[in-house]
Amino acid sequence: MTPSSSSRRAAEDSRVQGDSHAPADKPGSALSAGPIDMVGMLAGAHHPGAGAVVLFSGEVRDNNRGRAVAFLEYEAYGPLAEQLIAEILATAKEKWSLATAIARHRTGKVGIGDTAVVVITASAHRGEAYAANRYIIDRIKHEAPIWKCEHYADGTHEWGNNCNCHATTGDVTKHIYESQG
Amino acid sequence: MKIHVYAGLKDYFLPEFEVEDIIRNTDELKALLLTINGKAEALLSTCRFAVEEGFIDNAYNLKNNDTIVIIPPSSGG
Repeated sequence: MTPSSSSRRAAEDSRVQGDSHAPADKPGSALSAGPIDMVGMLAGAHHPGAGAVVLFSGEVRDNNRGRAVAFLEYEAYGPLAEQLIAEILATAKEKWSLATAIARHRTGKVGIGDTAVVVITASAHRGEAYAANRYIIDRIKHEAPIWKCEHYADGTHEWGNNCNCHATTGDVTKHIYESQG
Repeated sequence: MKIHVYAGLKDYFLPEFEVEDIIRNTDELKALLLTINGKAEALLSTCRFAVEEGFIDNAYNLKNNDTIVIIPPSSGG
């Protein structure tokens, strides 16, 4: 298998919202080293043909598996993460005939209550917007080369919550999405 | 050949390093990495590999000037 250019083409075709509060990031990047401008993303998501807009915000909670969490730190392999997210958005737009599909994921340190990832979908009717939003966040969580390190209140840290689908599917490229459960 | 590792792999290897050995495919690369740190075996068995922003599998012929990115299972969101 050779490196595929299909996801690169998807990156050029898909609309990925920028973040005006992260000047270090490239315009149109799906990754943000600074706070995500969720309000700005939503403002840019409206479409005259869309009667439904769904926004998902993944936020950092203060506990995980009984342990107090101080903050999360996200790392990404940027080039491939950008390509994969663009491909996921393009696939969702086509599958559900979406007017808008945008996503943005944080990198770096993210505090409790802060937004780690935002997905916005807009479509003519709500069913498609909900389904597509779930599809996009599921695939980002399972497939995009983005990793979280949990920093606990006791000072320890752990890379964790990795996708473990391969234990069931026997293939690191095959996933079981929550929306399929 | 340059190697970049991410996330939990950094508990076992430097984030970036070079190997001088002639490595032809990802299976040979995994074997070499285990000689560097055998404790990484469980995590390495779940990782994917990429070259030039595209995933590769064991059929891809690695070249000495390749930069190999080793990608653990995702944990975004």
